[in-house]
Amino acid sequence: MGVQTPNGFNLDNSGKRVVVDPVTRIEGHMRVEVNVDSDNVIRNAVSTGTMWRGIEVILRGRDPRDAWAFTERICGVCTGTHALTSVRAVEDALQIRIPENANSIRNIMQLTLQVHDHIVHFYHLHALDWVDVVSALSADPKATSALAQSISPWPLSSPGYFKDLQGRLKRFVDSGQLGPFKNGYWGSKAYRLPPEANLMAVAHYLEALDFQKDIVKIHTIFGGKNPHPNWLVGGVPCPINVDGVGGVGAINMERLNYVAEIIDRSITFTDQVYLPDVQAIGSFYKDWLYGGGLSGKSVLAYGDIPENANDYSAKNLLLPQGAIIDGNLNEIHPVDLRNSNEIQEFVAHSWYEYPDETKGLHPWDGVTVPNYKLGPNAKGTKTNIESLDESGKYSWIKAPRWKGHAMEVGPLARWIVGYAQAKPEFKEPVDKLLKDLGLPTAALFSTLGRTAARALECQWAAYKLKHFQDKLIATIKAGDSSTANVDKWEPSTWPSEVKGVGFTEAPRGALAHWIKIKDTKIENYQAVVPTTWNGSPRDPQGNIGAFEASLMNTPMVDPNQPVEILRTLHSFDPCLACSTHVMSADGQEMAKVTVR
Amino acid sequence: MAVAETFYEVIRRQGITRRSFTKFCSLTAASMGLGATGAAKVAQALETKPRVPVIWMHGLECTCCSESFIRSAHPLVKDVVLSMISLDYDDTIMAAAGFQADAILKETREKYKGQYILAVEGNPPLNEGGMFCIDGGRPFVEKLKEMAADASAVIAWGACASWGCVQAAKPNPTQATPIDKVITDKPIIKVPGCPPIAEVMTGVVTFITTFGRLPELDRQGRPQMFYSQRIHDKCYRRPHFDAGQFVEQWDDENARQGRCLYKMGCKGPTTYNACSTVRWNNGVSFPIQSGHGCIGCSEDGFWDKGPFYKRLSNIHPFGIEANADKVGMAVVGAVGVGVAAHAAITAVTRVTVKHDDKAPPKA
Amino acid sequence: MNIMAQVGDISDSHGEKAVARRTVYVYQAPVRVWHWLNALCMVTLFVTGYLIASPPESVTGEAYDHFQMGYIRFAHFAAGQSMAALFLLRIYWAFVGNAHASQIFYVPVWRAAFWRGVLHEIRWYAFLEKYPKQYVGHNPLAHLMMFGVFTLGTLFMIVTGFALYSEGAGRESWQYKIFGWVFSLFPNSQDVHTLHHLGMWALVTFTFLHIYAAVREDIMSRQSMISSMISGERQFRDEEA
Repeated sequence: MGVQTPNGFNLDNSGKRVVVDPVTRIEGHMRVEVNVDSDNVIRNAVSTGTMWRGIEVILRGRDPRDAWAFTERICGVCTGTHALTSVRAVEDALQIRIPENANSIRNIMQLTLQVHDHIVHFYHLHALDWVDVVSALSADPKATSALAQSISPWPLSSPGYFKDLQGRLKRFVDSGQLGPFKNGYWGSKAYRLPPEANLMAVAHYLEALDFQKDIVKIHTIFGGKNPHPNWLVGGVPCPINVDGVGGVGAINMERLNYVAEIIDRSITFTDQVYLPDVQAIGSFYKDWLYGGGLSGKSVLAYGDIPENANDYSAKNLLLPQGAIIDGNLNEIHPVDLRNSNEIQEFVAHSWYEYPDETKGLHPWDGVTVPNYKLGPNAKGTKTNIESLDESGKYSWIKAPRWKGHAMEVGPLARWIVGYAQAKPEFKEPVDKLLKDLGLPTAALFSTLGRTAARALECQWAAYKLKHFQDKLIATIKAGDSSTANVDKWEPSTWPSEVKGVGFTEAPRGALAHWIKIKDTKIENYQAVVPTTWNGSPRDPQGNIGAFEASLMNTPMVDPNQPVEILRTLHSFDPCLACSTHVMSADGQEMAKVTVR
Repeated sequence: MAVAETFYEVIRRQGITRRSFTKFCSLTAASMGLGATGAAKVAQALETKPRVPVIWMHGLECTCCSESFIRSAHPLVKDVVLSMISLDYDDTIMAAAGFQADAILKETREKYKGQYILAVEGNPPLNEGGMFCIDGGRPFVEKLKEMAADASAVIAWGACASWGCVQAAKPNPTQATPIDKVITDKPIIKVPGCPPIAEVMTGVVTFITTFGRLPELDRQGRPQMFYSQRIHDKCYRRPHFDAGQFVEQWDDENARQGRCLYKMGCKGPTTYNACSTVRWNNGVSFPIQSGHGCIGCSEDGFWDKGPFYKRLSNIHPFGIEANADKVGMAVVGAVGVGVAAHAAITAVTRVTVKHDDKAPPKA
Repeated sequence: MNIMAQVGDISDSHGEKAVARRTVYVYQAPVRVWHWLNALCMVTLFVTGYLIASPPESVTGEAYDHFQMGYIRFAHFAAGQSMAALFLLRIYWAFVGNAHASQIFYVPVWRAAFWRGVLHEIRWYAFLEKYPKQYVGHNPLAHLMMFGVFTLGTLFMIVTGFALYSEGAGRESWQYKIFGWVFSLFPNSQDVHTLHHLGMWALVTFTFLHIYAAVREDIMSRQSMISSMISGERQFRDEEA
């Protein structure tokens, strides 16, 4: 019994409804409801973005050169990636070419974000789905040390180190004030690590917390601060002056050395801590291969990290571009962000309205009229929701589709596209990891696969940091120190009406901004972000989105302890502030937003 | 439940000696300008207090404040969380979710009534019945008010909670509202910035836990220890401002020599923050040092004081965008034209209207 | 007009009679001195204020060798403080000076005659009246402008100016203690800068109109204007209608 979706899932909402709200350890506000059958297997999933900010409407009429700062504030976790997307969109519209150094520095900043975000995500937002903190108290420090030393040369691995840490943890737990670990699902059978692995993971949780604050110093050097470093249309704001008068006031040798040192430490940390941890934890969850969702069917990547400046074609991008549909890895479809028939957003199940909700709209033509109403079978009231009705409108997230397909984006999507393209730098690490764990390729399409792809990407990004650092120095050595192209800085040099699109691969997946500029001001601005793709509600055809798909058919140990739900949702690294700010810049819609 | 341990006990157990502890206290006191008696107070506070429960709530925001907080280098955020405060609720990092998370809020209200600190990141939207930000199926603003009712004090993290920030920029479609407009009966410490500097955030928290009182606030409700001077006042590029040496264009020779960014729209002269002194990410740099002007992110409504690359703010007289100079010159110009025309008509009138000696006729 | 001093019929060497002209002593010496000093302050403030917002081309060399913005700002602050001090003295003189000395500090809004006078002046400037009326002090329209734009404008500039100055002088300064309340009205001092700047343009506009009106009335109303602010005496070249 149930309803078959066009994208191949059987939905049955007859069983017990379980609500998780708030979903924690994510960015922003999110709710999820599932129906479990008598065996506690999830048979229906409903994910809801529960916040909305309206940043695009705020952008209307402003200076396009300021837009990066506004869009950067869409998200403080993937900080900078929206800003980069924005300056690219403006540069695309105005046909501004940036210097080679600006491209290298931007790549370094974007890769720094990948490294930082992936590490913080794994250890501080995701690890507690796999690691039982309280169990670590019963670990044997000597055995923990042996475990740690067997998987990595990382020096912080002595018995004394783990004993000391365990003592601190014990005193913390004994204090009765558990802080952020309070009310966790400790002791649940969903946790499978032995105490020693738990203790090692807790140690690395704290080490990663210390280290992450150093990674972002690269942003601070080039962008002045983190979170929310500064960017510039036409290049980067930081000038380079390695041996001239006043070089101390610019990017100089001291600054470059600082960056190089952090890059080296990032490589060491991902090589010796992050990847071995993922592999070690993964080895205990090898048979927990749920959560694949759309990853084995439809994935999308825009590509990013241009090797050379100003060339955003697929062949110049180090992160792969392409779409895979219906699980056919043999065919990689090209993606065109300007084609109005490819990317479209639907609102049939979102709290917005279109004149014709059976049709989707391309972002350049997007409209958004907020329309907050619950479906007929929802329980509770409009301001006190008990359960939602997924047959009606149920999310602040729109439903983007690529040629009508619901797509998964993110590290796993990128790595699947790279894998399908048989690029050695993506295929080889995946094959090696699968071989080490003794798993087939199909195991990649899972919660664990998502988590593993993120770790592999983090390592890839750390090495690419070094590549662009070397490239930056090579360019300077060749006599080019320029960092900004100001030919079209003045609005008087701009055409009266232009439009552009900028895209990146944010840590969470494919991200693009579409801009229309009229008479030197922003006329329309639209962002379609990774969590809009992944967190998408149903579309008019009934296709479910990536979050919902991934929860399907997952057995829960105890429906009152949503460890499995959190584990799979967290594997996407949801960012709700990103996904739900979306709103078009049409003036008339504002009349609809009224105080009730 | 075990007896809650104090900061002093925690650090002693971590192997820190009494001697180091005393030294830490005097350094802490000195850095806050408190002198010898201050050091004793710091020590006494740290020896006797259990960790203060902190409830950290998120409204409409981007989580940059949380991200900044975990960047703190002194103290390290792990020490803050493990040893200085008890961060019992923070949806960004807490293990629990759903009703287990909500249960913590209820428990804290009952168990620590009037004793916990409420830290708020982001702000509540009031349009659409508050449902532009839903938390546990209900409007965030309701939860916020409930938790504020029993808090001892409220910290407004960042520009969102303090001023409204980006979602409150014109036209503020969700009616995002700074928290001091919805929490009116509690002391609120505003720690603005987008985000605030990590060490400023931990500095404010540890000040409260250390001294057991709120820091001195300025007229706008900000801790004056961090927010009483402008970026400009302490900027290392200030000598170039006084000398009249400015970056005239991006990446020009002036930029490469680190000159003043005033002409590139730097808002340092109107921005109260510690960026030019504390600097960012353990003192590595700050926006101006990295070549970009300050955008004024700790100031009220800074999004609407742009453009970021002009010294003068845009204003919107009669719906047309201009700055004070453009408006002023336009008015003077218009008046000039008017005066010229008036003078011309006057001259013509004077020539054409004939009367004796231009004098009015005698009555 | 009983206070008018008649010049009388004085013959010159050719035996011709000079035209009889009435003069009246309006602007006492302190007012005249204040007027011109204030004008000097205003011009200084306009120029330096504009340059503070839009500085001249960068100077080269080391920062140590230059203090260009420093001097510009110093001139601005010095002129501003002088203007404030002069303003205080002028207020003092409003109480102790002659009847005209207090004219710019109030508007007789309660007097219908005043408003009729304003209307007449507007009509005069719109070329709807053939002849001007004569006033010893400011005509009603000038009076209104004087108070509404100049006096209130100057007060606004002094208040916002000191508030802005207190940002640099610091929270402990007397300027902040007295004028810091401005930042309770406008928490972001960028707004105060913008308003101060707009205030400057209002006064520039005022100055412009003031000079034009003075020159024009000197000619058209046949009453002395510019020389009055030097000699203090207003001369009426015509008998009153």
